[in-house]
Amino acid sequence: MLFFSYFKDLVGREVTVELKNDLAIRGTLHSVDQYLNIKLENTRVVDQDKNPHMLSVRNCFIRGSVVRYVQLPPDGVDIELLHDATRREARGG
Amino acid sequence: MSWAGPDDIFLSTSLATYLDKKLLVLLRDGRKLLGLLRSFDQFANVVLEGACERVIVGDLYCDIPLGLYVIRGENVVLIGELDLEKEELPSHMTPVSAAEIKRAQKAEREATDLKGSMRKRMEFLDFD
Repeated sequence: MLFFSYFKDLVGREVTVELKNDLAIRGTLHSVDQYLNIKLENTRVVDQDKNPHMLSVRNCFIRGSVVRYVQLPPDGVDIELLHDATRREARGG
Repeated sequence: MSWAGPDDIFLSTSLATYLDKKLLVLLRDGRKLLGLLRSFDQFANVVLEGACERVIVGDLYCDIPLGLYVIRGENVVLIGELDLEKEELPSHMTPVSAAEIKRAQKAEREATDLKGSMRKRMEFLDFD
């Protein structure tokens, strides 16, 4: 639940999602769900030449199970808030 | 995907917004399928109507028609909405027949295998 809540707060920010198949997609975080499935808008693939099939894809749904990393804007992290939430989660969970 | 109410579909991660749209589905085995989304569920199992597999090798491509497909969600990597106004492929790419693209795929596979085996042979020489 912690990361789900955390990503919900990041909706509207620019992120880059790196997948387990090494595909990296940049876009605006539209929504996230309990499985950490991600919907991105205004997507562009980071290495467009190697991925011609993605040229006209502007919105996509990414299954949570295939995400390796979600790269965030440096000011997208409120470290104190995250620490507190993690401590609460660790105590309660 | 949680079942969203009628007002939530624009904000949630539901695939409902993609229903009856032409989509690109990337699979874990590297295949790219195109088709109209007719159904989905919480596991991202998907029904694609008029599906075809787009095979791209270098500057050649081919769309192989497949018909009505049910895709098990665990194989789905990404589902992308195709912008019909934008060109789907760069203009320098040429469409070819299924037989020719299979030949090109085989050639590409053999080239990568050859590169791999040559690298293995060179590794023992320890050039560092």
